[in-house]
Amino acid sequence: MNRVGDGSIDGVRAAVLTSRFEGIVRSMANTLLRTARSGIINTAHDFSCCVLTTDPSLLAMAQSLPIHVMCGPDISAGVMVKYHPELRQGDAFLHNSPYEGNSHAADHAILVPVLDDAGVHRFTVYAKGHQADCGNALPTTYSAAARDVYEEGALIFPMVKVQNDYRDNEDIVRMCLARIRAPEQWWGDYLALVGAARIGERRLNELASEFGWDALDDYAHQWFAYSEGLMGDAISRLPVGRVTVDTRHDPFPGVPEGVPLRVHLRVAPDDQLIEIDLRDNPDCLPCGLNLTEATAKTASMIAVFNSLPEEVPHNGGSFRRIEVHLRENCAVGIPRHPASCSVATTGLANRVGAAVQRGIAELGDGIGMAETGAILNPALGVISGIDPRDGKAFVNQLLAVHAGGAASPVYDGWLTIGDHGAGGVVLLDSIEMDELQYPVVIHRREIDTDSEGAGRRCGAPGTVVEYGSLDCEMTVLYASDGSAFPAQGARGGMPGCLAWQEKVEVDGGLEQLPVFAEINILPGEVIRSRSSGGGGYGDPLTREVDAVTHDVREGRISPDKARDVYGVIFDRQGNADETATTALRKQQAVAPPEATP
Amino acid sequence: MRLSIDTGGTFTDLVVEDANGVFAVYKRPTTPLDPVLGILDVIGLAAEDRGMTSGELLGGAHTLIHATTHSLNALLTDTVAKTGLIVTTGHPDILRLREGGREHFNVRAPFPEPLIPRSLTFPVTERITSSGSVLVPLDEDRARSVARQLGDHEIEAVAVCLLWSIVNPAHELEVGVMLEEELPGVPFTLSHRLTPTLREYRRASATAIDASLKPLMGRYLMNLSARLREAGFAARLLMTTSSGALLDVDEVAAAPIHSIKSGPAMAPVAGRVFSEQELSNSSAIVTDAGGTSYDVSAVRRGSIPWTRETWLGTPYLSPLVGFPSVDVKSYGAGGGSIAWVDRGGLLHVGPKSAGADPGPAAYGRGGVSPTFTDAAVVLGYIDPDDFLGGKMKLDSNAAQEAVLSDVGARLGLDAADAAAAIVEVMTEQMANAIEDTALRQGVDPTAAVLVGGGGAAGLNAVGVAARVGCPHVLIPSISAALSAVGALMSDLGKDIVVTHPMKTSSFNFTIANEIVTELTARSRAFLEDMADGSSERGVDFYVEAHYAREVWEIDVPFEMPLAGPDDLDRLRRAFHARHDELYAVSDAGADLEIISWRARAWCRVHSGGIPETRRAQLVSDPSVRRTYFSGHGWLDTCVFPLEQLSGGREIWGPAIVTSPVTTTVVDPGAKLVLTRLGSLQISVPAQEMVDAVER
Repeated sequence: MNRVGDGSIDGVRAAVLTSRFEGIVRSMANTLLRTARSGIINTAHDFSCCVLTTDPSLLAMAQSLPIHVMCGPDISAGVMVKYHPELRQGDAFLHNSPYEGNSHAADHAILVPVLDDAGVHRFTVYAKGHQADCGNALPTTYSAAARDVYEEGALIFPMVKVQNDYRDNEDIVRMCLARIRAPEQWWGDYLALVGAARIGERRLNELASEFGWDALDDYAHQWFAYSEGLMGDAISRLPVGRVTVDTRHDPFPGVPEGVPLRVHLRVAPDDQLIEIDLRDNPDCLPCGLNLTEATAKTASMIAVFNSLPEEVPHNGGSFRRIEVHLRENCAVGIPRHPASCSVATTGLANRVGAAVQRGIAELGDGIGMAETGAILNPALGVISGIDPRDGKAFVNQLLAVHAGGAASPVYDGWLTIGDHGAGGVVLLDSIEMDELQYPVVIHRREIDTDSEGAGRRCGAPGTVVEYGSLDCEMTVLYASDGSAFPAQGARGGMPGCLAWQEKVEVDGGLEQLPVFAEINILPGEVIRSRSSGGGGYGDPLTREVDAVTHDVREGRISPDKARDVYGVIFDRQGNADETATTALRKQQAVAPPEATP
Repeated sequence: MRLSIDTGGTFTDLVVEDANGVFAVYKRPTTPLDPVLGILDVIGLAAEDRGMTSGELLGGAHTLIHATTHSLNALLTDTVAKTGLIVTTGHPDILRLREGGREHFNVRAPFPEPLIPRSLTFPVTERITSSGSVLVPLDEDRARSVARQLGDHEIEAVAVCLLWSIVNPAHELEVGVMLEEELPGVPFTLSHRLTPTLREYRRASATAIDASLKPLMGRYLMNLSARLREAGFAARLLMTTSSGALLDVDEVAAAPIHSIKSGPAMAPVAGRVFSEQELSNSSAIVTDAGGTSYDVSAVRRGSIPWTRETWLGTPYLSPLVGFPSVDVKSYGAGGGSIAWVDRGGLLHVGPKSAGADPGPAAYGRGGVSPTFTDAAVVLGYIDPDDFLGGKMKLDSNAAQEAVLSDVGARLGLDAADAAAAIVEVMTEQMANAIEDTALRQGVDPTAAVLVGGGGAAGLNAVGVAARVGCPHVLIPSISAALSAVGALMSDLGKDIVVTHPMKTSSFNFTIANEIVTELTARSRAFLEDMADGSSERGVDFYVEAHYAREVWEIDVPFEMPLAGPDDLDRLRRAFHARHDELYAVSDAGADLEIISWRARAWCRVHSGGIPETRRAQLVSDPSVRRTYFSGHGWLDTCVFPLEQLSGGREIWGPAIVTSPVTTTVVDPGAKLVLTRLGSLQISVPAQEMVDAVER
């Protein structure tokens, strides 16, 4: 076996230190998870923790929300040094600027520089969590309709020193308390973020006192080289090729035709490089959909890692083998102030990531992935009102549904993927916990039959959710992508199901709801919605008959769809009829029936 | 005389506590197809050793306590009963949707199938709200027809989990009555009775697991009971439970979910007694190292912490158990863990294991991959001629060859350094496992004892302790059967829970006292049933609470009475302190939300002390052999048979202490003392820390 990488690694020391760094980031994540106040962090796991070198590159990360963390913390760590060249022990910085490395304004990041006794900056620890509120004009952290950052209204902290000598700058704390809804939640989350970063700092210092700072630097260098080697090796075994993939985000306020996107992709096994070019895309849009540099790159990088047939460590080393080309003032590039990037972690990021992994799939069987469904339908909406049980105001984002995951060459789509950028990490609300905390009743949460993205491997289905208020009026704010343009399948796989949303009035009348709305719900009314599903991978006629049989038995696929799309025929006992199936599949392979997405 | 039998994955352990309070440990292989065979076998072994018949041994016992992996194995191998699930209409996918979550970037695993398939899941029309009010009445006709359909499907057990049954159980109870009428003799579990816990997925999961185990565990326990009685046993049969207590075997048959961690949950019970009584330290990290797994638990200031987050298998890729248990986490690290070097040149140990078959290369059964055990052979820690008391001869050349070819050659190290590297990486992984548990449970390792149980504990316990900062390692006299001994040190106990959310800002003393009165009455009823009149008994009260808007509850004990604001303040202060201990932050100004109220009724059935351990009669002389330590090279090392050691004598490492079932390595600079009760106490050397710094 030939060794990959530059051969500089001390395989024993690196194994030990990798484990130690993982322990450090895990302790950060544990602190954050357990002490955060808002459900979006502590129940939904919408947070990230990592350690960066001073280059700056991502060295180690805990269980994190993928869209938060691959690219962004590194840019931010650079911004910290740019604005604060004189770093001191006890400093901590609050950062959420979408123009300088953050994901979107609702993600508050705390950066703590770790200095040695001589005052030399050695590492940066980073903790970030999605806030329940970030001061937006509307009570949502996803202001899709905001024409610019002013209309969005988020408080922006461009690398603001929030702690000096380990003590809070009370001025900044008061600003936040004065402008952020549910200020006690923000305060609790702030304490949790700072606590996590300080735990990371303390444990890094302990590690350095055991091994020495220089040894840690050596390790970081080796670890990057090792990871780059593995990544290069993985890419070197991919088929060579260039692909251009077109995709489109649904029509939204400010973009009535939707957002057409184009991704140019080059897989270069000889150069051990994957190049993604997002420059051939619209300028920044007059709405909150614009991506940030961090999310444009990260969405693409997640897709690349999803597409590889093997596991490669995720860090600054392996990232060197991915080049993402962006341009300034581009909706999927580097935003220019005052463009709004309020929805930068989901909307277009999902579409870009989906296009990249589908593009890679088109280069050869066994690699890439289909597209993952899009999100933010009303079951992920922000609910607000006055809770009749205690007379107090409430505002919270529900996380009562996930989009369906894309099929891979090997597995059916992950049912609870969240979306492309969440990568399955986010949790799904407990119905009882939602109902305890807010005056809502979730009447139904059920996987929809025949909503899978058909394929040799199926994209995950959509889920129908129905909910209403409990004895009060309630406002629901949402911005649902995936109702017009489905997640595409790959290599002959079919698209995932579309999202839809409607209101069931007290008298049973139905009102179709737009993809973006702020609506009022009366007692007895119900909002019903379906999440979008993931695309399939490969021709559904090649799905194993046993798998189709299981799907039908479990009510995931109807016998009719099994026949029409998968070419599988069942007898009265519900067993597949082998002869009839073989014949039908042969016939359908020549003349496929009309598909109904 | 009391007997304790722990049926583990590989061995069935028996500990006999005789009338004088002396312990003796016996081991025989587990017989998975019919586990009772292994039990009778080990009883036979003990009887023979004690010069009596099995009937005489069993007849002389006034209690037999049993722990088993039988139920967990059935779940992991999917050999449980065909079980139906009844849920609230609109929510048939509770078990499939779960609570979301996945290891980040792990795209290379299938989405797990639910415990009970959708085809056996039946919604009934009904709905209760969070306040307990009925939003939709139970459609009795529909429910009855569901019960009949379950019969048509030849269901062997039924789980019932309706939303908010924990605050208003009326609908679940009605469904229960219908199941009794329509499916007589088919066991079922009602979620609110089993575990009145908030969060429908967890409760449904626990209910499904419990129901699916009922036929199997009912048969198993009846069979065990009958065959023991046939063999001469005529006294009380108890089972250990996942919550670290004992219950009558009938209670476990009625709620078999109690048994799924019955063995591992006893390790911290034993660890606590040894740590407290031998080293006067009420905080401990307890490890149990076997051939394929490394179990870690904790004792925090005398109490054994719980968890509500136990996965049946791999986190996120298997169901959450949903039932509270002692926090014992099992890691795939053991003697059989395979060392390998990846194509980038990084050394890994595990997660693949050679298991017991083919086992390590040194076993000579066809294994060619180097394992942790092989590394220990190469380093001279394990004597190839004296493994398991000489019962098995190891092939040291095979170990050497495997370590050299798969690790040494690839890293440019000789066999000894390669073996030392394997131990170092393994030590690191075990230390990480300990740190996770310590962090999760707010235990400071530098103020705790590392209690090492299991046959493989002693090989690198000193290194693990040095790495996490534990100043002392304690290898109990009976370390090879830690769980079985723990059972003999455990109380009868049952947890009774009432879920009734209440904020301290709007605290209702009347309701709170009604709840406590109910808990007290139910606790007393349990104690009346279980305990004989002479024994010491009590009821401890806890609330499960969080700060308003936090969502993960923590347990806080509280004292009666709850009469006025001062009492509530005491409870609040206890919560803040506990929160601070766990998470290093508290918020004195914040409102608390109590979710549920718990009573633990307990009754002591043991002496409370550590008995003596019968020492083996076989005596061999100390010897010297060459062993290798990182940073020191090959050293002449004294090897002491355990029975040669005398109390109070200090032995400085390097040294090795052997017994037929364990090998304990005392690293250079570490100090070993045999305690009065026959355990090994090792002080972790300051030098080890210095070495680490020099590295």
